[in-house]
Amino acid sequence: MSELLKVNNMTKTFGGIVAVNNLSFEIHEGETVGFIGPNGAGKSTVVNVLSGYLNADSGQVEMNGVNITNMKPYQRAHMGLARTYQIPRPFPELTALMGVATSALCGKKRINQSFEDALVNATHYLEFVGLFSKRNILARDLTFYELRMLELARALATTPKLLFIDEVMAGLNPGEASNAIRLIARAKEQFGITIFWIEHVMAVLMEAADRIIAINHGEKLSEGTPDEVVNNEQVIEAYLGRGWKTYA
Amino acid sequence: MVDFELKRDRITIRLKGKKWEWIIEPRYWRNSILWVTLLLIFPAAAYFISPGLINTMISANLLAAIAMPMALMTLGTGRVNFGPNFFVGVGGYTAALLSIAYGWSPLATLPFAIIVTLFTAILYSPLVIVARGLYYVLLSLLLPFVFFEVTIIYTDIFKGDTGLFGIKPLLDLGNARINFLVIAYISIVIMVLFLWIINKVVKSRYGLIMAAINDDEEVAHGIGVNINKVKIISFVFSAGMIGVAGWFYAHYFSSFAGQTYLTFTFMLKIFLAMMIGGRTTIFGCVVGGYFVAFLEMILIRTMGPIQAVVFPVILIILLFALPEGLFGIYRKRRYREYFPTIHVRR
Repeated sequence: MSELLKVNNMTKTFGGIVAVNNLSFEIHEGETVGFIGPNGAGKSTVVNVLSGYLNADSGQVEMNGVNITNMKPYQRAHMGLARTYQIPRPFPELTALMGVATSALCGKKRINQSFEDALVNATHYLEFVGLFSKRNILARDLTFYELRMLELARALATTPKLLFIDEVMAGLNPGEASNAIRLIARAKEQFGITIFWIEHVMAVLMEAADRIIAINHGEKLSEGTPDEVVNNEQVIEAYLGRGWKTYA
Repeated sequence: MVDFELKRDRITIRLKGKKWEWIIEPRYWRNSILWVTLLLIFPAAAYFISPGLINTMISANLLAAIAMPMALMTLGTGRVNFGPNFFVGVGGYTAALLSIAYGWSPLATLPFAIIVTLFTAILYSPLVIVARGLYYVLLSLLLPFVFFEVTIIYTDIFKGDTGLFGIKPLLDLGNARINFLVIAYISIVIMVLFLWIINKVVKSRYGLIMAAINDDEEVAHGIGVNINKVKIISFVFSAGMIGVAGWFYAHYFSSFAGQTYLTFTFMLKIFLAMMIGGRTTIFGCVVGGYFVAFLEMILIRTMGPIQAVVFPVILIILLFALPEGLFGIYRKRRYREYFPTIHVRR
């Protein structure tokens, strides 16, 4: 497994608050990496820095050996980085199909792709997440679950190599959540993507993740297989709490 | 001979065993040939009935020709520019000054009017990236007024107090009425050309990308849209189109004054043509342009001096009564049309 993304000593401060402190980790190709930590630990900041919305104060991000530290979000999207948002952010005035078509058009460069090709591509991704019948409905009229799926379709349509998933389970009922998990597993299998998954629901990560990184106060607490991480004293202390298994 | 029959949903016309049917159904009205024909017939008809209408029609066409690029600009930058008349001023003053100083004909000043407007727009375009929301509104609103002040301060060049006179007229065919008629057709050509270009742009992939920027800039950036490029290009491109309208005004009236084009009244007319027609549906801009121009004409004829107060009041009431615009009455809600409505951002 080759290295896909490499983060070296990333630091990000907001005024006096250190959100991410000297964080280093790697993501290998084809794995699912879970990313956990208590609220305010800096998880979303890490994703924002990695996807280019925030500039790190120091440190380096490398993707496939290319230094992407100073790249803008759209350049990173062309490199093969995609993300979903914690709170769905669809294009409210566009239909589901057009929203996905935009990312098929603008994502990773595809040679000689016409508008119609992009529409066909977008239809495929919508079908994949199960929104085919809703393709002509404005995104603002979709339900919460459908918005989540639309986000996923939009992220997949850029043909990413690495997908950041920011709390896909939040606000979904158990049935929808299990659907979402199955979809993500299928997406990983079919499109050959690598997944970096922020999640609060430990049971999901225990099952899906190959490796988990736990952070607190912007510093890495522990890294390893799910079993190693959940049995780590520091992680239990900071995040999981004793007896978490009875609730998980 | 010709037999008209109005059945429930269709008009049947019979002539010597031949039969034409026209179904009265709004979606069949979306026929570009029909509307362009009507547009072309109108000035010719007005020429015989009431030549004054031609004048109103020219101003309607120009309002539409400013409102449409303005709608494109709003869509592509995701912000509402409150000072589109600034570009009218730039284009108009360029044409006017060149024509007066060097005696150039309208055709010679046109490229310069466009180039200078484009150049000004490029200088002004970083604002699209830097400012957003209320700050953008304020800054864009201020610019025409600043330009107006400049024309008054440097009054020896711009003649800010009296206006520039002696610009070469757009056409000189000898007969004033025929002049008017031909100018009306030129304005129609400009308007229809703008409509065609902007419709093409909006229906293409670039229109979709612009719509995405209009909806959520950050997300569009995240899925791979080079938002700065798209915003600047759509800003500069539309500004150039608006500059053409300024050029037309200067040569049409043979005079150009900041008092007319750089003030709030003119801005309001453009803005309302855009909003009343149907919230940036570009076809709505044409409807809005005609509505605003003809309403103004009717009010001037019937009300006299009080129209200056009544006109904006009527328009503002209409804005509340028809939030989706005149075009919206017909359009209702069509999911398949992805051209978005605009939101005035925080």
